[in-house]
Amino acid sequence: MTAILKVDTIQDTSGNNIINESSDTITIGAAGDTTNIIGTLQNNGSAISIASLSTASGSAPSYSARAWVNFNGTGTPAIRASGNVSSITDVSTGRYKVNFATNMPDVDYAVTVASQQANNNDSQVHNIEAPNVAYVEFQRRENGTVYDSSYIFVTVTR
Amino acid sequence: MDKRIIYKNADGTIAIIIPADCGLTVEQIAQKDVPTGLKYKIVNVSEISSDRTFRDAWTIDDEELTDGVGQ
Repeated sequence: MTAILKVDTIQDTSGNNIINESSDTITIGAAGDTTNIIGTLQNNGSAISIASLSTASGSAPSYSARAWVNFNGTGTPAIRASGNVSSITDVSTGRYKVNFATNMPDVDYAVTVASQQANNNDSQVHNIEAPNVAYVEFQRRENGTVYDSSYIFVTVTR
Repeated sequence: MDKRIIYKNADGTIAIIIPADCGLTVEQIAQKDVPTGLKYKIVNVSEISSDRTFRDAWTIDDEELTDGVGQ
């Protein structure tokens, strides 16, 4: 048997609103509260598209990174931190692949690569190979010569 | 992760995979990230030289790539 509770406000024992419905708008929590959702928050069964992040201003939509990594490409190359990255491949001097833990939906993503100067050359180029859903490969050069770098940052947005 | 995965590039030089802490085992990463059909070897990171002066001259015998094939 299904029971229906008809109210427009649920409060905690101190009288603060936990859930409130007014003019077709449902408000969960109150200013200063932390609303902790256990499980997946969905929009009628689909992933939620967040129009803007709390740190954003204005009405332009926000897009988050699908993969990112910070790694050291010198000495014994090593990953400092990453997200949605299963590995990096040290292909050769100054040439690396970033392999995604979960593939991109297509190859129309945008890649940003930045790195620390390795040989005191102001002219740095990061040459991106044709994108692949499983990885992005690039080579870094300074004044036309390939160099490894101690700090390499890669972000993939889609 | 203190393991590295080695496979051979088309030009005979070697590529070295550095696994991320992503919840996959080194074997799963090797199967996934070594190009399809290429043989690989899993080694301890201590077996890889940190002197990269002649990095592009590093190579390995095919007979050493005995731990699997990229899927």
